[in-house]
Amino acid sequence: MSRKSVVIIGGGAGGTILANSLRKNAFDITVIDKSDKHYFQPQFLYIAFKGSKENMVRNERSLLKKHVKLVKESVSAVDLVNGIVKTVDGEYRYDYLVIATGITSNASLISGLAEINEKFGDYHTNVEQSKKVWKNLNGFNGGTIAIGQSYPLCKCPPSPLEGAFLTEEFINLKGLKGKTKIIFFTPYPRAYPAEKVNDEVEPLLKARGIEVRTFFDVDRIDAAGNTIYSIEGDSIKYDLPIIIPPCKGVSGIRYEPQSILNTDNLIKVDKYTCRVEGFDNAFAIGDAAAIPTSKSGVDAHLEAKVVAKILNKGDAKFDGRTHCPFDVGYGKGTFVIGSYDEPVIRYPITHINLFMKHVMAKIYWGSLKGTYDDIFDIYFKETNPAKLKKKYGK
Amino acid sequence: MTDQNRKLIDSRGSSCPGPITDLAIAYRNSKIGDEIELWATDPGVKADIQAWASKTGNLVESITEDKDRITIMIKIIKR
Ligand SMILES: Cc1cc2nc3c(=O)[nH]c(=O)nc-3n(C[C@H](O)[C@H](O)[C@H](O)COP(=O)(O)OP(=O)(O)OC[C@H]3O[C@@H](n4cnc5c(N)ncnc54)[C@H](O)[C@@H]3O)c2cc1C
Repeated sequence: MSRKSVVIIGGGAGGTILANSLRKNAFDITVIDKSDKHYFQPQFLYIAFKGSKENMVRNERSLLKKHVKLVKESVSAVDLVNGIVKTVDGEYRYDYLVIATGITSNASLISGLAEINEKFGDYHTNVEQSKKVWKNLNGFNGGTIAIGQSYPLCKCPPSPLEGAFLTEEFINLKGLKGKTKIIFFTPYPRAYPAEKVNDEVEPLLKARGIEVRTFFDVDRIDAAGNTIYSIEGDSIKYDLPIIIPPCKGVSGIRYEPQSILNTDNLIKVDKYTCRVEGFDNAFAIGDAAAIPTSKSGVDAHLEAKVVAKILNKGDAKFDGRTHCPFDVGYGKGTFVIGSYDEPVIRYPITHINLFMKHVMAKIYWGSLKGTYDDIFDIYFKETNPAKLKKKYGK
Repeated sequence: MTDQNRKLIDSRGSSCPGPITDLAIAYRNSKIGDEIELWATDPGVKADIQAWASKTGNLVESITEDKDRITIMIKIIKR
């Protein structure tokens, strides 16, 4: 068999894992990324709410196996019909294409948000924005904190509530509880969209005095009047806003055909094989793909492994598995676990689950290279939702 | 009813964050008179969409359940 060329656009969690998982003797692998820095994005939460000084960033080159070629360029066009990826400086032809460009936050999509986002920061964009949240929390002396996502599409579904829980912990430990109201707003019918998880976290929200506004999908912000308005016609007045900007698929790449993009700029794919609609030799994985699972590193990881298996061996299927860690504050956490066939299950809130979240962060760099593949295989099998459901009940 | 006023959302298999994400995004991009056909599998979707409709003032025209699909027809009458 002659060697085939694989071009991977985006060297984030998904693109890096995939590049490192392809058979070296069968493929010439090129990763194209506009940045040579790779951030562990879940860390933004701990920079924003715990003041962590650890940025968790590495050079992408050091995360890729030696035989993988890395090109630092921004992709401007992809012609799937003729198999060509274009950057400002060059053209790359491929036998197989994998799009792993993630999603990016864009405050200017909500009227009034860009104005306050600049000042108040957020914990979904980058380190600098996350540091602003920490600075503002430390300067806060009482009043109303409004926290939530401003658009239904968001990285890591637990992360909005994690922010609310960690805000409350911070305020409480600082002794400001009596002078502070924390309002968590969400476009969903309940604090956490998946019911079984909501059953576990709702009592905590109540106990900690975090007010929840459901069906609050942000329409616009009146920056001068310190007020957030929802599409549903409600409003929240704030002193300190912590608002997650809308996230969409990256703009700036012209696709041929354009019909592979949905209204959020995500790539339409088959949810089992991650194949781009209409193209046998093109795939999209991770946040960039329009797949009905959560936008999480875990999903990017699992989808990368499925595509690697398809290319290495010819067959594999993604089961829609999610496994999102969820920090509920005060050293405890849980996981959001489900799949296409198993709606999210009930899972306990414990210290050990938060410990597992932190362990996963610690082993992140190694997991990109496949160091822990055997352990992950066992871990995901043992935490299969159908199996856990028997243990933790309906 | 023209095709332009009709949108099909296939949320089958989606349970977290779930079909309401797709509906909320479709609602943002909709105009009065649009019809949204939502496909889902998680049974919780029925109560959620009803609650969404009464909150936003929109209309759930029908809910039908087949073996492997729940089909919900929604008409946008308020924006
Ligand atoms: C606060 C927060 C907490 C989170 N917590 C968790 C968690 O606990 N667990 C979990 O699993 N996930 C979590 N996530 C989500 C996780 O970080 C993402 O889902 C994951 O990084 C997605 O991987 P990806 O490869 O799809 O995209 P990314 O990792 O975002 O990578 C995309 C890459 O594409 C590149 N790119 C984009 N456009 C171009 C272009 N035009 N040309 C070239 N390159 C381009 C970018 O530079 C980037 O390197 C969290 C995210 C946030 C923000």
